[in-house]
Amino acid sequence: MNTTSKILRVSALGAVMAGFVLAASPAHADRIEKHFLVQNKPKITVRNSSGRIQVKSWSRNEVLVAWTNASGKAVVETEQAGNRVEVATRPIENGDSADDNKTDFEITVPAESELNVRTDSGNVTVDSVHGDMTFDTVGGNLQLSDVNGYMVVKTIDGSLICTRCSGKLEANSISGNVQMVQPALDSVRVQTSSGNILFDGSFLSRGIYIMKNFSGTIEVHFSSSDSFDVNAASLKGDVINQASFKPDTHGSPRPASKWGHSLLGTMNDGHAKVELTSFSGTIKILKRD
Amino acid sequence: MQCEQFEQILEEQDGGALPDPAIMHVEACEPCRALLADFGAIRDVALELGAEGIAPPERVWISVRNQLEAEGLIRELTRGLTHDPQAAPPSTGAGWWTVFQRPAVAGAFLGLVLAASVTVGYWSNSPQTAMQPQLAAQQETSPVPSADSVFKEEILTVGSDSIVGLQRQDTAVSDSIRRNLGIVDNFIQVCEKSVREEPDNPMAREYLYGAYQQKAELLATAMNRSIPGGLQ
Repeated sequence: MNTTSKILRVSALGAVMAGFVLAASPAHADRIEKHFLVQNKPKITVRNSSGRIQVKSWSRNEVLVAWTNASGKAVVETEQAGNRVEVATRPIENGDSADDNKTDFEITVPAESELNVRTDSGNVTVDSVHGDMTFDTVGGNLQLSDVNGYMVVKTIDGSLICTRCSGKLEANSISGNVQMVQPALDSVRVQTSSGNILFDGSFLSRGIYIMKNFSGTIEVHFSSSDSFDVNAASLKGDVINQASFKPDTHGSPRPASKWGHSLLGTMNDGHAKVELTSFSGTIKILKRD
Repeated sequence: MQCEQFEQILEEQDGGALPDPAIMHVEACEPCRALLADFGAIRDVALELGAEGIAPPERVWISVRNQLEAEGLIRELTRGLTHDPQAAPPSTGAGWWTVFQRPAVAGAFLGLVLAASVTVGYWSNSPQTAMQPQLAAQQETSPVPSADSVFKEEILTVGSDSIVGLQRQDTAVSDSIRRNLGIVDNFIQVCEKSVREEPDNPMAREYLYGAYQQKAELLATAMNRSIPGGLQ
């Protein structure tokens, strides 16, 4: 009788401990994985103060979240409610340092997924995901490749490299650089204060491209077949132009700025609209080789 | 009706409908129309924002209150107010004032007021202000610093108070925020200089407004990240 009772007590204790482990898995140096079955187009939210976040896609209707916390001093909490999956890291004890909380994530999602990522200093990479995305970082850099959707980026001094991105991009930074390489974006609103902006791609018909900074360089590359109206102005800096623009043929109500250096003109039929503005930075409109 | 009377009515109405004489006055008076618009904009933004967050430094509220009292925009009876949530508002005049005491409003408020101060600064160079020598003389002789100088000082110093807690959590992040606060402060100074040199230049004013806005957003980020769970 006593033995049976002891076994029951130990079993109950074990079950309780297992419950704790399942509810909040303590992160440690080992890689931990969790799988979440989802339907089409899930929404994945990630909150991680420090550590790398890598997101890629696969063809399964499943979200795989794998993480590693070297210090073992952070807890990763996960939650699923239907098509919504949330992942958050929190310190086991208040006052733990950023290194203690540093947790690296590898997340694999269905190709059609929505992402919401927030981090302080962790770098974020997203590859081949199609869906709306928001990113909020302090110092974390972002690298987006082959993504499609409405992308909203807010960072303090993180940089953004968007390679073969399509859809719409809104990016706001203070000192981070923004690069759009081979984009197929039809709406771009990019602003950085001291960072540089590079747009190396085609201006799509009906596209609107607004790029603005304070002191960095704004550089756009065009091909001779591109069709766009351009309005470029730098209050204290220069505007360097390699294009042969004709006068604006669309009766733009706004004349070229009389302040600083400015340029107003049309390339081909002016199907896209390009606005480049800087306070003291240089604006370069360069012909692609 | 004189402008002072209108301001008194505006305060007493607390967002309610204005009486006919006040409406007639505001239709004919450009500065009062601008004041009414500013109050409306501040109230709207404040009401839209949530009540969560951390309190800004006490001296911000003291400076704002002193300045508003000095300019006659609020009366002495609001003197008893603090941003203690336990304190009951003693008058209807406290209605819009207390919304400023919501900590999360700080950044938006500072941004709005600074934007307003820029506009005021612009107006001060226009002939319109020359018709108000009484107001100008009052500002010159007032022992209380002008709204422009108060907020200029606050906007350049409030950052150091906002990221104290953050420093305990992640020095890389607090360093980043400090560094970028410095960048934005520098932009503000450069833009202000530019606006002073070319007050009619809309591009310079637009950049100055943007720099103020950026600072407010940066401070909001610093506040948000400095509290436990702020990343959530």
